This record gives sequence, C-alpha cells and structure tokens, in this order.
Amino acid sequence: MPAVRNIRLCTKDCVCLYVCPTGATDTENSIIDVDKCIKGCRICADACPSGAISLLPDDYPPQQPKEDRVVNALRILAQSKVQQEGITAAIARSSDSIITRQFAEVISKSNRIMAEDLLRESGYMLPQSDEVRNLLESMIKNPPKDFPLEAVEKLLNKLNNNKEVRKENY
Amino acid sequence: MRKFKCSVCGFIYDEATGLAEKGIAPGTKWEQVADQFMCPWCGAPKAVFEEVKEVATASAPPTDEEEYLESLGELSVGELSALCSNLAKGCEKQQLTEEMDLFYQLADYYNSKVVSESGKSFADIAKLLKSDLQDGYSKANAVATKKADRGSLRSLVWSEKVSRMVNSLLDRYSEEGDAMLEKTKIYVCDICGFVYLGNDLPEICPVCKVPNFKMSQIGRG
Repeated sequence: MPAVRNIRLCTKDCVCLYVCPTGATDTENSIIDVDKCIKGCRICADACPSGAISLLPDDYPPQQPKEDRVVNALRILAQSKVQQEGITAAIARSSDSIITRQFAEVISKSNRIMAEDLLRESGYMLPQSDEVRNLLESMIKNPPKDFPLEAVEKLLNKLNNNKEVRKENY
Repeated sequence: MRKFKCSVCGFIYDEATGLAEKGIAPGTKWEQVADQFMCPWCGAPKAVFEEVKEVATASAPPTDEEEYLESLGELSVGELSALCSNLAKGCEKQQLTEEMDLFYQLADYYNSKVVSESGKSFADIAKLLKSDLQDGYSKANAVATKKADRGSLRSLVWSEKVSRMVNSLLDRYSEEGDAMLEKTKIYVCDICGFVYLGNDLPEICPVCKVPNFKMSQIGRG
C-alpha cells in the first residue's frame, strides 16, 4: 500500500517530508518515491494537515454481478454513441471549415466519454476483475495477424487479478 | 406561480423570484421569458426546461423487457476500443502507468479497425441521438430501476443529460452553422462528456459536478 500525494490538495506544508522515515516524500517532482516508501506505513498520510496523501489499496473489489438485460440496455446506447463518435470523427477529419472540424471533434469526444462510461458500468468497472481478464483472454484466441498480442500478454501478467480477494471485505 | 427545471443540470427557474442576474423581474411568467433564454448554469436552451409538478409524475412507461433478452453478440471493435480506453483511465487512476499505455495501445488498435463512417453529416447523428432520447434511455432506465442497479442508473442519468445538451447544440448548429462557435469557447467534461459552449466556465460541471479543471477546452486546428 504505497502512499500517493494528490497534488491538487497539497499546500506544501511539508510535514510529510518531516515525518517520513525514509525520505520517500522528499522528491523534486512531488511524486512520492514508491521504491523508498514503506508500504502500509501511513505516517505521512496521517500527518498531512491538508489531507493530500492517501494509500493506494493493494486489492480492488471484484466486479458486482450485472444482469443481462441491464447490460444489453447499456450496450444498445453505447453502440449508438460509438456510431455517433465515428461519424463525427470522420467529419472532423474531412471538413473544409476549421470551426466545423472543431465542433465535430467536440461531439466526437463527448460521445467517446459517454460510451466509455456506459460500457464501464456494463461489467468492467476495474481493470483487475475476472471480467477484464476473460476479455483479454478472448482477445488472444485466434487473433488477427496485426493484433498487438504482446500488449495483452503483458497485461495478463501484470494485472493483479482480484479473484482471490475475499468478497466479505466489500 | 410555477417552477421550471432544466432537464440537463437541474437548475430551477421560479416564477415567483424571477432571475435578477438575467434581468428577469419577480413574478415573470415562464411564457414571458425570452425564447433566447439560456440556463444560467449550463447554457441549455429554454426548450429543455420542464415544469416541476407537485404531484409525483407517472411511473416510467411499461417496457417490453423481452427485447433485451436477445443477446447483442460479441463486442464490436468500436465498443472494444471505448472499453480499453476506459480501462486505461482506470489504470492511470491507480498509478499503473505501463498498464495504462498497454490499454491505450489496444484502444488505438481497435479504433483503427472501425469502419470509417465517411459521407455522413450532423443530421445523421441528430437522428441517432433523438432515438436514444426517445427510446433508449427510457427503456434502459426502466430495466436498471427494476434491477436496482445504482451504478448503471448513475451512468444513464449522466449520459441522458449530456445527450440532451448535445441534441440542443446540434439543433442550434443546424440553424446557425459555424457562427454558433465563432466568438465562443467550447469545452468537454473529461468525466461525463458534457459540452459547455461559453466563455465563462462554471465552477463545477453542471452534469457530473466535477470541478472545472476536468473540463477541457477544445481549440481549432
């Protein structure tokens, strides 16, 4: 559980620097040094008068079960947003007017964010879930020639699956 | 005296108090408010305001749930791209920079496989959007309410409001064209996708209420 600083809340009280046993908070770029940080120590987090330091959790909760009907309803909307994103992205690439391109880019970006949020709620809340692992595994079954296989393999190795996280914790 | 609520951000116009900042005197009837009136919080037009009824409104229309039983099949490349870019953002939040980059790599790959929708116009989007607003959201809200799925309801509330805002901007754009943006800045909320047209950004996003440093200006070029 390494400590992280929220730079938006930090008012440079520098108490973290004063209390940290290892000097992990004493960095030029204000990012706490993960290698020096004693995991779970939390002295800096408790001492910070601005509440700007928190500990990253070791485990994230498993995905809550989602009803098929809800997932379908969300996906119908997400597919529409994806289509709208695609149409506006094409306008943003091809229009002669600089303002039309700007407006198209805005609508495209807005639709991407809406699609992302709807799909996230359809069962892919956290990267560590079984659902994401299953999705990644399905990607590398019979992948097309130009598929970035290595990226998926790295993710499967690196992402700490939360299958073992005890459900009663959440 | 009646009250009217902005269906995008929830701002309430009260006929009894009027709206001093817009020079509307107390007691001004909604009908007497200029058609050009825009919501002081989010900039939505007068047309998206709805009267606040004292009695509870009728419950959501009955839906034919059976149609949702039909499976949509595998995720499309467009859906996969959005899913991966969202997972990248999730990794960023957890300070997993390498994982973030890998998910973005996948998002870009799937995005490159989306068949380009060239030759279509804003009118085509408006059509899709109107169908979302007339049909998609009411059905999705009904089914998510029935299943008491708070997370899905939250997501639906945000994107329905954003869709209303985008719809009103598309309507305006079809009338005014590029002149609509000529002298005005435009922003997109990084969190919910809300589009703000105006030079003075509100303190928080009118839809998802995130502080405005999360609202990105989209420039020209």
